[in-house]
Amino acid sequence: MTQFDEQLTQDLFAKKMITENQLQEIKNYRSLNIFSLNVELKLLLSISVLMFTSGVGILIYDNIDSIGHIALLAILFVITCGCFYYCFKNSQGFQKTETKFESPFLEYLVLIANVLTCIFIGYLQVQYEVFGTHYGLATLVPTIVSFFCAYYFDNRSVLTIAITGLAAYIGFSVTPQEIFQGNNDFYANPSLSYSAIMLGVLLILWTVYSFKIELKTHFTLVYLTFALHIISIASISNMYRDELIWILFALILAGSSYYFYKISYELKAISLYVFMIIYAYIGINIFLFRIFEHADFDEIWVLFFMLLPIYFIGSIVMFIKLIKNFNKEIAK
Amino acid sequence: MIVHDKNLLNNLALIEEADSLESAGFISKEQKKIIKKELPSFKVQNNILVRLGFFLLGSFLYSSICGTVSMIGLIGSTSFSERFFFSISCFIFLGIGIAGAEMLAKNKYYRHGLDDAFILGIILNAGGAYMITTESYNDTPLGLAIVVAVTSFLVYYRYLHLMSILVFCLASTAVLFFGLYEIGDIGKTIMPFAVMLFSGGFYFFTKKKIKNLTEIYHYNAFVLANSFCLVLFYLSCNYLVVRELSAELLSVDIKPGQDIPFAYFFYAFTCIVPVLYLVQAIRTKDRIMLWISFGAIAFTVFTIRFYYSVLPAEAALTIGGLVMFGIAYVSIQKLKNKESGLTFKPDRIHHSNTFLNAETLIVASTLGLKPEIKTNSPMEFGDGGFSGGGSGGSY
Repeated sequence: MTQFDEQLTQDLFAKKMITENQLQEIKNYRSLNIFSLNVELKLLLSISVLMFTSGVGILIYDNIDSIGHIALLAILFVITCGCFYYCFKNSQGFQKTETKFESPFLEYLVLIANVLTCIFIGYLQVQYEVFGTHYGLATLVPTIVSFFCAYYFDNRSVLTIAITGLAAYIGFSVTPQEIFQGNNDFYANPSLSYSAIMLGVLLILWTVYSFKIELKTHFTLVYLTFALHIISIASISNMYRDELIWILFALILAGSSYYFYKISYELKAISLYVFMIIYAYIGINIFLFRIFEHADFDEIWVLFFMLLPIYFIGSIVMFIKLIKNFNKEIAK
Repeated sequence: MIVHDKNLLNNLALIEEADSLESAGFISKEQKKIIKKELPSFKVQNNILVRLGFFLLGSFLYSSICGTVSMIGLIGSTSFSERFFFSISCFIFLGIGIAGAEMLAKNKYYRHGLDDAFILGIILNAGGAYMITTESYNDTPLGLAIVVAVTSFLVYYRYLHLMSILVFCLASTAVLFFGLYEIGDIGKTIMPFAVMLFSGGFYFFTKKKIKNLTEIYHYNAFVLANSFCLVLFYLSCNYLVVRELSAELLSVDIKPGQDIPFAYFFYAFTCIVPVLYLVQAIRTKDRIMLWISFGAIAFTVFTIRFYYSVLPAEAALTIGGLVMFGIAYVSIQKLKNKESGLTFKPDRIHHSNTFLNAETLIVASTLGLKPEIKTNSPMEFGDGGFSGGGSGGSY
């Protein structure tokens, strides 16, 4: 973009939209000719962490019977402790607000330490049944560790691991791949849906409480994103139910959509807003479909078909309005 | 030929510049607001999620209009009129697409999502119309590729639609591919070299064009075509691609101990080109090329591992992870305190807008894997297995 950047800034100046000082400042900065590898190197770090931890995971799985368990456990334990030692030594300790580390590696070391801890606990359970038949505990303990790490070291990635762990403890999976592929089967399992919705509500309540005591308020978006997807998907998949209970789920969806409408304005979070609209739109369509299901369509289906484009034009107009309002609000 | 007002296009570029200057902290928010107010522009959706949503809605609208038209066309039809309608249906849909795209463009919709739906619909229906009129369902799709390439180029030139250029690039590659395929065995044999020369030549052509470009609204399209050439150049003589294609097209049966002709050339090409890209990208400070070189390096590793299992997967992962961590560590230590040129400090101007989004997206998807590896495994313990632990399709 080089040749045009200069020219555009010059144009802005020519139109008297930026001052001469600003122009000079921008020119000075551009003459530094900065080519930042910040994103690329951080990405390399996170990929290397991912590769290393999964490599270790598979290594342990494959050799679970051949190498001595004690040796394996010891190595894992030493690496984990080393990582944690380094992290604790170099972190500034617990803080209620957002903290930035001096070293860019710390974030990734926390991640490694955390993942290795989870592998360690899993290994203990499968080999020695430390938790006996309390399989829930084997999930809960890594979750608690993750929550601790997330809050202590202020690490968002570890927080997402912790939340997925919490969901796994309840009995469903909220990793992006699984929740969108509908692997959880909320439809076949009503009690799971109730607990999923409860979890979503709890996450929301926790964010409200965090705001009150001002504890890591920048985590709010992570919690709310999970809550939105969990509640919406659980209630939408239950709206196909034959029993009358589907109306209850429709109401839940309506309530959550209203809440997220409000909160996304408050946080100026467009990702929440857009997904809220999409889920609400799906919900409305299913609702209409369920209502019309009982109507006699033989006579009027041609008319119905003709009305479809008008329906879509109507929805597009509505969407444009919604997005416009939101962008206006954000710009303020 | 361009439907959009050129003043507005220039204004759009100015507004985007103001946006990036604002996020870099050079100008104030109020200033940006004034700039936005003073320069009339298009209805643009910059948020990819919103744009995707509008694209979906636009596609619904387009297909529902087409559905209504088909129903009117088929009411009370005989089998003759049915066939007649079928033969012209794609042309009607094409007309609807053009009408929609024109109308949206006249109403200053640009990069909005709605226009994407109609413009891509034009290309799709042009291809469909060609298929139906020539009834060439079983031939090699050379004609189809030509039609799509021409249409997408015209569509780009009318609406300045970036995605059409991607379609154009893919379709032109298909024209080249099927053209050589039609020639016969000679064409199939020289295919890698022909594609290599073609993409190399086109790369330098577009590069020169970018240098002498005066209209800013064509810039992105040329950059896209330029990057496409880079990717195509690497893939054209990649060992894996060449070997699998020659097995497919020439039905060469490669027995153990044998290799394809010129194997050493392809091996060398596969290994050298990514490194070349990487060096060139860092030398010329070309970020897109840098990312392409990352992709190429990954594909080279995949190519080698596809034929030779140098190390078992888990050892390769562990060691690879350690090596990559080491490389990143050393590079960061080296670049940490540099203030100009190549550095680790985030770029004020270009960091925040495009690449921060890309970073969050990529990190989010990589992290999406982690819970699967991890939190699933404790769940699986209930069954007494460790099968979720890492092997579960995360690669």
